[in-house]
Amino acid sequence: MSANLSTRVFDSVFEMLPNEANPSPLVRINTLHPLAAEIAAGTSTFELFAKLEWMNPFGSVKDRAASYLIRELEAKGAIWPDKADKKGRGIVEPTSGNTGISLAAMASVKGVHMRAIVPEKVPEEKKVMLRIAGADVDVLTDAMCPSPGMGEGALGMARSYAKAQGDRYVMPNQYENHANVQAHIDTTGPEIWRQTGGKITHFFTSLGTCGTVTGVATFLKAKNKNIKIIAVQPSAGHDVPGIRNKDELHVTKLFDASLIDEIIEVPFEKAYTSALGLCQREGLFAGPSSGLIFEGARMVLQRDKPAQGLGVAIFCDNVFKYISSMTKHLPALAGEP
Amino acid sequence: MSYAFPDALVSTNWVKENLKSPAVRIVEVDVDTKQYGAGHVPGAVAFNWNTQLQDQINRDIISKDDFEKLLSSAGIKPTDTIVLYGDNNNWFAAYGFWLFKYYGHADVRLMNGGRSKWLAEDDKPLTADVVAFAKSDYKITAINADLRAKVPQVLEAIATRNSNLIDVRSTDEFTGKIIAPPGMTETAQRAGHVPGAKSVPWAQTVNQDGTFKSVDDLRALYKTAGLIEGKPTIAYCRIGERSSHTWFVLKYLLGVQDCKNYDGSWTEYGNLIGAPIERS
Repeated sequence: MSANLSTRVFDSVFEMLPNEANPSPLVRINTLHPLAAEIAAGTSTFELFAKLEWMNPFGSVKDRAASYLIRELEAKGAIWPDKADKKGRGIVEPTSGNTGISLAAMASVKGVHMRAIVPEKVPEEKKVMLRIAGADVDVLTDAMCPSPGMGEGALGMARSYAKAQGDRYVMPNQYENHANVQAHIDTTGPEIWRQTGGKITHFFTSLGTCGTVTGVATFLKAKNKNIKIIAVQPSAGHDVPGIRNKDELHVTKLFDASLIDEIIEVPFEKAYTSALGLCQREGLFAGPSSGLIFEGARMVLQRDKPAQGLGVAIFCDNVFKYISSMTKHLPALAGEP
Repeated sequence: MSYAFPDALVSTNWVKENLKSPAVRIVEVDVDTKQYGAGHVPGAVAFNWNTQLQDQINRDIISKDDFEKLLSSAGIKPTDTIVLYGDNNNWFAAYGFWLFKYYGHADVRLMNGGRSKWLAEDDKPLTADVVAFAKSDYKITAINADLRAKVPQVLEAIATRNSNLIDVRSTDEFTGKIIAPPGMTETAQRAGHVPGAKSVPWAQTVNQDGTFKSVDDLRALYKTAGLIEGKPTIAYCRIGERSSHTWFVLKYLLGVQDCKNYDGSWTEYGNLIGAPIERS
């Protein structure tokens, strides 16, 4: 039986991975629409949608890149499970969590082992999720002395495994591998184009590996070069897991400034208040990176007040993996005074 | 113009060529020792900065006896050439270099660019295999106590202005905007800097790839900062490892003869009752 998208019956979890025929949902922003007053006054018809990437099978936008990375490794014969006469060769990857969770879940189904290298500041929930998904987890500490922006720790350690134990590990390297970008050229971009009937005028996302922004922008700009690509970044010294300030982008080779119309900076604490607002007023259980992107969209739209158009904001993952981060930044959520 | 003591700094290529030399012993010192476990330079041993190079009861460097035991257990002999390297631009490796010199080891070298440079070069092998070396009987015969500054020397430098004081922490730590970078467990009661200290953050001494800048660039850097040539010099940071990095630059690359590392650094000075502090 092949996937039946009308009844949503699938032969395996892999068939649930998103694509143009099986897109992640777009949900209209209603109560918190940044131009609600203008719409009520009849001076704007701008529509804003959230693309709910947490509806992907392993819970985040990273399912897309991870599935392409694994597919590429399989096609090259670079990974295999343990066999009677041959030890398996698995995956090692530096990750703030979501790519690792997706990679580990997919690798586990295939019997391939996965080692995730995560920075200490990644929330505990994500570390546990990585282990639940079947990964071995190395948590790197820089507690003795911080080295902001040096990009060495997790990336260097994953490279070390791949170099010193190449018979056991290969590193897909989401920061350099074009498969990360291709996933969004092939899936996210076409999904948005189809879901909006080609009416999209504004695309909002964050910066991390930059696979999403580069891939989606490549596709959308080819369709309509006037579509505005807006990247939302947290303020320097931020504490929003999984995304980067532009000063931290030296670790990725997938950033292409020529595709981005604007990078807007948001005070990082807003990621948390904005996420909470989305949870409580839109019923969208958005995590902090989604909150940050929404806040960036709000700032741009309230500044520019477009009379018409259609915006799509990537909502990377939901809030469940960030309970500790949410309570750290919004202590009232823990019932504290 | 070359460095004052060019032999103290070796390239990754030199280390590769000397991997099989029995008189060359390679020591990795990292912020996080999991790095060594993932892969290291063949034949390297790892010393843990926190648990093996520090006294575990008193706040102090490892004792003479414990240093002898540590080196003996690693099979290191006083005649060996020691090459140190590590992560984070060799911060902790530089601390290891300083400690080897403090305890009088003759031939100590730092691998330029550290762990990340070795890792980035395709022709440099990396292994997870740990070599078991036969134990040695390492004996320390002389201690170079003049390489270390303690509180009295720092207070004397403030009072007499007889020394350059170099603060290698971030600008925000120097000016007193913050006591320590966010999330740090070792901190102080007060923010600011030692009166009269010049701010030269450690990162200004290295290139993008972590290798040291040229001697001319380094000389210009400290001249601009107001370092007076010929004067004794004391470097400090927060816990003493970044200042070891700058101490290495000043003493071995620029040839500052009387150069001390104040390893107590701000986590000691910023907690002292009555010590004068400047903020700016």
